[in-house]
Amino acid sequence: MNPSDTIDTREVSATPQRHGKVKALLRRFLIDYAMVVPINTVCAIFVTYVLHFHASLWGNWVFSMCIGTTAMLLMDGARLALWGEDKPPLPALIGNIVLGAPIAYFLGSLIAIELLGLPTQQVLSNQIDHATGMLIFVTTVCLFVSWLLWNRTELSLLRAQAEAEKAKSAAVERQAMQAQLQLLQAQIEPHMLFNTLANLQGLIAIDPPRAQHMLDQLIHYMRASLSSARADKTTLAHEFDLMRAYLELMSVRMGARLTYALQLPPELDRVTVPPMLLQPLLENAIKHGLESKIEGGHIDVTATRQENKLRLTVTDTGLGLEATNHAHYGKHGTHVGLANVRERLLALYGEQAEFKLHPNAPAGAIAELILPLSP
Amino acid sequence: MTHLRAIVAEDEPILSYALVQALQRLWPELQICGVVDNGVAAVREALSQGPDILFFDIKMPGKSGLEAAEELAEDWPDDAPFPLIVFVTAYDQFALQAFEHAAVDYVLKPINDARLSKTIERLKLRLASTQERNDELETVIGKLRALAPAAALGSEKLTLIRAASGNQIRLIPIEEVVYFEATDKYVNVITAECQALIRTSLKELLPQLDHAQFWQIHRSTIVNSRQIQVAIRDELGKLTVKLRDRTETLQVSRVFAHLFKQM
Repeated sequence: MNPSDTIDTREVSATPQRHGKVKALLRRFLIDYAMVVPINTVCAIFVTYVLHFHASLWGNWVFSMCIGTTAMLLMDGARLALWGEDKPPLPALIGNIVLGAPIAYFLGSLIAIELLGLPTQQVLSNQIDHATGMLIFVTTVCLFVSWLLWNRTELSLLRAQAEAEKAKSAAVERQAMQAQLQLLQAQIEPHMLFNTLANLQGLIAIDPPRAQHMLDQLIHYMRASLSSARADKTTLAHEFDLMRAYLELMSVRMGARLTYALQLPPELDRVTVPPMLLQPLLENAIKHGLESKIEGGHIDVTATRQENKLRLTVTDTGLGLEATNHAHYGKHGTHVGLANVRERLLALYGEQAEFKLHPNAPAGAIAELILPLSP
Repeated sequence: MTHLRAIVAEDEPILSYALVQALQRLWPELQICGVVDNGVAAVREALSQGPDILFFDIKMPGKSGLEAAEELAEDWPDDAPFPLIVFVTAYDQFALQAFEHAAVDYVLKPINDARLSKTIERLKLRLASTQERNDELETVIGKLRALAPAAALGSEKLTLIRAASGNQIRLIPIEEVVYFEATDKYVNVITAECQALIRTSLKELLPQLDHAQFWQIHRSTIVNSRQIQVAIRDELGKLTVKLRDRTETLQVSRVFAHLFKQM
């Protein structure tokens, strides 16, 4: 289940959608028509100079344009109206042409006569005299143009199909990557684990009750991160629980060098969030901000509601962003971890979420996540 | 013989306490003369106390255990034997590989008495043969540095340096650089005619340079090898480098002395 599904799309009513569709069809029609004009011109030249039809090129061109346009309006109009952008069945298409061609021929001729101000009776009878030849000619041209347009429809249909396929596979890929990133971030670092165990070992000898407490925190932390690695969604309360266990472990390890505070308003307890989104930012703040700072520092984790957005912050008083770039004998670059967070946000929310990292005054860094608040 | 003395550097208080306890239990004659919780203090304490053994955590604030060891190797006085170093680490694939390769002593956390005892035995053996110690350490540190992950990662090589010089930005072709010198927060780029600052560290710069041409010869110096006219060893064994296009000479630290061995 993808949280971006929760984005409300009901606002988009049917009217603008249909409006958009008509517009698209109209555009399509105009593009098709642009193709017909040169064909009409070729026909006029053919009729004038090859068939020696007794009229000027201009007159024939007007006739040709009128007949062509009428045919276009009738046939392509019918095609778009009946089948839209879809591919029409071939027999229907041919029927459409055979029926449309004579109508276009006479209707187009009438319009041309009207436009050129010619004697209607005389010209029309002339047209009827040549009807057989001209009808064959007009039908052939119509078939040819239809074939062209039909081919193009098929081509664009195939293209659209390929694009849809591509978008689908990209979405699948995104989802797989998101799952992998989540798993990656839920992994307990061996370094962290062994250091914690070493602390436990030390504590057992000197302070058994504290050792017991630490062990409880470790169990809690491991259980929570294991379940987080598998879940699609979790609650803020659960995430804060996990972070509390982690911070408790770290504060035993770091002693006086680490202090922390977690602030989750009760009304946000049950808000759902993707698991392991905030935790890496916290670990980052500890690892790069505080652990490598001699005097240590303080960490604040907060969740606040801002209208219909959820704002999550991890604030530390550590070494700050600039120092973090000097990779401190580490192999896990900060950039990799943060890039993972960015990737996940993009996969989960698209442009709806934000992740910012800014300097904290007087020292340290603030990591800020802004997510759409799912209902 | 006076007591053997050791310094423990470990940032996590419980671990530090546990290591000291374990050492006192397994090696009662060893005197722990200093316990510090960061790399900077580790270097300072080691230089002032001159102990025989150092237990260095690898991940420490201020300086990593490896950086602290490197710095000590450069700054250690000539008249005192260099301490033996044992690195302590929880889990660090790169470091472990490097240690195995360079035959450096290390102890894994959580500390295991049997493993620590073994290390102690080895330390005792090595302490008996003081003579070998100095040479050994230099090569070991040299090897460790070569194995450091930063050096292994081949990143894009620089061809042009963009450096601030007053209120101008100067573009310096890389081959014109005579040497780079680390200052507090910057790196000073020195060519035959001028100097300019870049806002970076030598550590970040190093992987971006061609290692055949640019040699690190000191913690704070990287030199263009084509600019080296001659390397001179003085009566104390200290190496200095004379340059073609500059009058000043550069110090070579013993960690990098191997670069100037005869073919």
